[in-house]
Amino acid sequence: MRSPMPRNRSLWLALAAFSFAAPLALWSAPAWAQDPAPKEGDKPAEGQDSKKEEKEEWFAVTNGDVFTGTGSLLRGMTILAKNGVIVEIAGEVDIPEGAKVLDAKGLRIYPGLVAVSSAGLFGGTGSELEDSVDPFSSRMVLGLASGITSSGVGSVAAKLKRGEIKGVVMRDKYSTTLAFSTNNPSTKRNLAEKLELTARYLREFRDYESKKASNKDLKEPPKKGVDSSILSVLKGETLARFNADSREDLLGIARLAQKYGFRPVIDGCGEGWTVADELGRAGAFAILTPRDRNDKSEALVRPGGSSIENAAILHAHGVQVAIIPSTRGVDLGGIAGRDIIHLPIEADFAVRGGLPESAAIAAITVVPARILGVDHRVGTIEVGKDCDLLVMDGDLLHYQTFVQYAVVDGKQVYDKEAELWFAHIRPRTTASLAPDVRVDPGEEVDPNAPPKVDPPKEGDGPEGSTPPEEKKPGDGDAPPEKKPEDPPKDSGDPESTGGEGGPAPESKPEDSSGR
Amino acid sequence: MLGVGHTTADPRLPSALCGAALAVFLCACAAGGTSASERERERELAARAGGRLASPPEGVQIPLAGEGQRFALRAAKVLTVEHSGRGFVDDGIVVVKDGRIEAVGPASETPVPEGYPLVDLGTRWVMPGMVDLHTHVAGSESANDINDMVLQTNEGLRASCAVLPGTELLKRELSAGVTTVLFIPGSGTNIGGQGVLLKTGLDQYESMRVRDPGSLKIAQGDNPTRWGYGMGRGMMNYHIRTQVRKGLAYAKSWREHEQGRGARPEIDPQFEVFRALFEKDTQISTHTQIYQLVLTTMTMLKGEFDLDVYIDHGEWRGYLATPVALRLGVNAICGPREIDSPAPPRVDTDGRIESVSAGYQSRGMTEVGFNTDAPVVPGEELALQATMGVRYGFRGDRMEAVRGLTIVPARTAGIAHRVGSIEVGKDADLVVIGGDPADPRHGVECVFIEGLKVYDVEEGRRW
Repeated sequence: MRSPMPRNRSLWLALAAFSFAAPLALWSAPAWAQDPAPKEGDKPAEGQDSKKEEKEEWFAVTNGDVFTGTGSLLRGMTILAKNGVIVEIAGEVDIPEGAKVLDAKGLRIYPGLVAVSSAGLFGGTGSELEDSVDPFSSRMVLGLASGITSSGVGSVAAKLKRGEIKGVVMRDKYSTTLAFSTNNPSTKRNLAEKLELTARYLREFRDYESKKASNKDLKEPPKKGVDSSILSVLKGETLARFNADSREDLLGIARLAQKYGFRPVIDGCGEGWTVADELGRAGAFAILTPRDRNDKSEALVRPGGSSIENAAILHAHGVQVAIIPSTRGVDLGGIAGRDIIHLPIEADFAVRGGLPESAAIAAITVVPARILGVDHRVGTIEVGKDCDLLVMDGDLLHYQTFVQYAVVDGKQVYDKEAELWFAHIRPRTTASLAPDVRVDPGEEVDPNAPPKVDPPKEGDGPEGSTPPEEKKPGDGDAPPEKKPEDPPKDSGDPESTGGEGGPAPESKPEDSSGR
Repeated sequence: MLGVGHTTADPRLPSALCGAALAVFLCACAAGGTSASERERERELAARAGGRLASPPEGVQIPLAGEGQRFALRAAKVLTVEHSGRGFVDDGIVVVKDGRIEAVGPASETPVPEGYPLVDLGTRWVMPGMVDLHTHVAGSESANDINDMVLQTNEGLRASCAVLPGTELLKRELSAGVTTVLFIPGSGTNIGGQGVLLKTGLDQYESMRVRDPGSLKIAQGDNPTRWGYGMGRGMMNYHIRTQVRKGLAYAKSWREHEQGRGARPEIDPQFEVFRALFEKDTQISTHTQIYQLVLTTMTMLKGEFDLDVYIDHGEWRGYLATPVALRLGVNAICGPREIDSPAPPRVDTDGRIESVSAGYQSRGMTEVGFNTDAPVVPGEELALQATMGVRYGFRGDRMEAVRGLTIVPARTAGIAHRVGSIEVGKDADLVVIGGDPADPRHGVECVFIEGLKVYDVEEGRRW
């Protein structure tokens, strides 16, 4: 079993601990995990006893190439889940009788995507989500079809539990939205005063806590005037969330965060690239849209405006970047590629600006999970975490890749072939799902032969992992590039599993009848 | 109307075309003169006044931007995108001389002439500059420049009079590898006026211009219904048909005159563009969508009047009329609404999300291109139209997506002799890119127009 420790998570211990409160009933500690190594967020909770009474539901995804989201690629692995929680990831797994098994041979497995905020996927919003959710909404299916298994909606971190209401809400009130705007100086003054007051109270309270045992006469410091939401921010229970784009606001927020010791989540962060070092020192999170376009005011001489490199520069300075498209709802008006169902496409634009692909994937999985305070449950594929998986026919960040199956809490809730939305697009043709048609672009063409229109071969782009839209043998995991009516052809290459950045295998002769 | 009121600008010129003349003069003056001599300019204007296209007119040589530049590029892959053929060269070399492609081929077979600096681009690819046939990016950002809505049909108006070189929007096009755009009037009226085909990255109107008129813009969609008190489809079709009939009668009378039959007609600025259309020197670009509008576009303008026409801004299941398009030889340029989704009664996809371009392609159309309608949709997202097309079902494994961004629109607009592919003799409009242009992860690194480097990420990545 391999369950690599996630990086940079020590700071999250405190938050993760707090976030146990809400999901406790759902949370089952992996007492049955074969790996006894303790992991943060895996501390046995009282909830496990009640779970033991329940019927055991086993689920396994077999033979997949697992992109764990923690930096590992585990080829040909089986992921086993019990009652919705991953208990084992290994090459050889004893799958209990009665387990539901999904064969992912030739396919890739990614953690379910986390939309840091969305609208319309649940049919309801806000803290009343459990009352208003429509678990049979076609939009929820579309969300799953586009890979989203968890999302922030209003003040709630929720799961796309298709057909279920119980367990939709993972966490309520995961953040505290604070106002801070240079354009409205009173907001800055108010916030600074509140922070000062609350910080003083917290110092006095902690002082009192440490001394009250030895000094019975001490009185608890007065809580008068202390803002409870600010208090929860300074105690680390919730993250402070800001909407800010301008350099002035970002600098101000970064300095407050450093002074009072909290971690800000900055939604927008348009000019973040100009103050990335300050934001990095403040331990900030950024929620941004790489394609945002804002011209710098002509009146300013300083650097500013939007930059396609924003995400890359922030990441390089230690800011944790979450990516969200400009339209946070589903837009079926026709202009494609800008709404919530195109999270990976939006992340692609950050890669275009220089963000490493691993960080781009984190920006739509584990980083938003951290912002929502649910990273102990979702965002990566690890033993002890919820079994929220995507089985995909190629590189998550490639524009042709589709979710073939989505799994939430150890239940398959989406199958591309079984739903109307995308079943007609490059349908799977074989039981094994392995792409069965190869078009070889690199074939040497006889110069005397009649001209043939061939697609280009994959070049080693700067990222070294980005296939062109014309699929080639190198993309073993890429969708077959064929018309539905094309007969399957035996290419003799059923198991090409070229990983990211892997060299393309030897070319195969093209079957020109495939046109 | 444009042109009226300027008849005294130059007494040697026929009054009819003073609008165009003025545009040229304005640009020339703004730029502090032009490289063409006074006499050449006169001849050019005279040629334009003759009603025939002048880009460049006979006898007038507007030098290409990269005149005097000689160099060669070596790239891991050169997407040559010629219309028929393989369409790419691995480890290729492109030789550029005086703004044109001098040679292209595999590195092993393409010698670099002596004295030509060779730039090795390593793993990068080179492709032809992209062509966007539906944009409003070359004027000021005020839509009033190009969307006159006083009259219901405006075939005499020219977008060329609104061109401002080097605008922010043009720079954005450039940073995405879009080197040629059709700058067209808006769709507030049925006939918006004449578009102009421009190179995006040059600083003089005369160098930018590829062809004027680039097209006659007709809008069949819903936008013109806002004109006046609102119009229905019947009224719109009636107006278009009436104006085209008048225009063609005018063009025929000129042709007869030029063939020695009939008296010289009086110049009518409103209908001059029909002479170019009649002689097949330009096309009608029709903002058209939805089955019955696309059908009308094709059957009326191509079937009834035999004018070259293409579907522009094609969306909303217009592809249901593909059989007619194939019969009449009408190309489809799709976008920016690249997907149809269940939204009955206008669009009923039976619960599916479908690609518009795939709709045309799967019905047998091979010439399918993409456009943006920039800046309504960012012009730098032209390639994303192809991305979305392929994602949602457009078949791209024979470089159809790249073709739809380059050679297909170039052929559709009748400018494939200059742009749209990397072939000997064509303009050296070259884009250096990280890889597959339809993959948003690949940024444009460098752009040449006519051999002149006009964008380089070394000076700051803009997109």
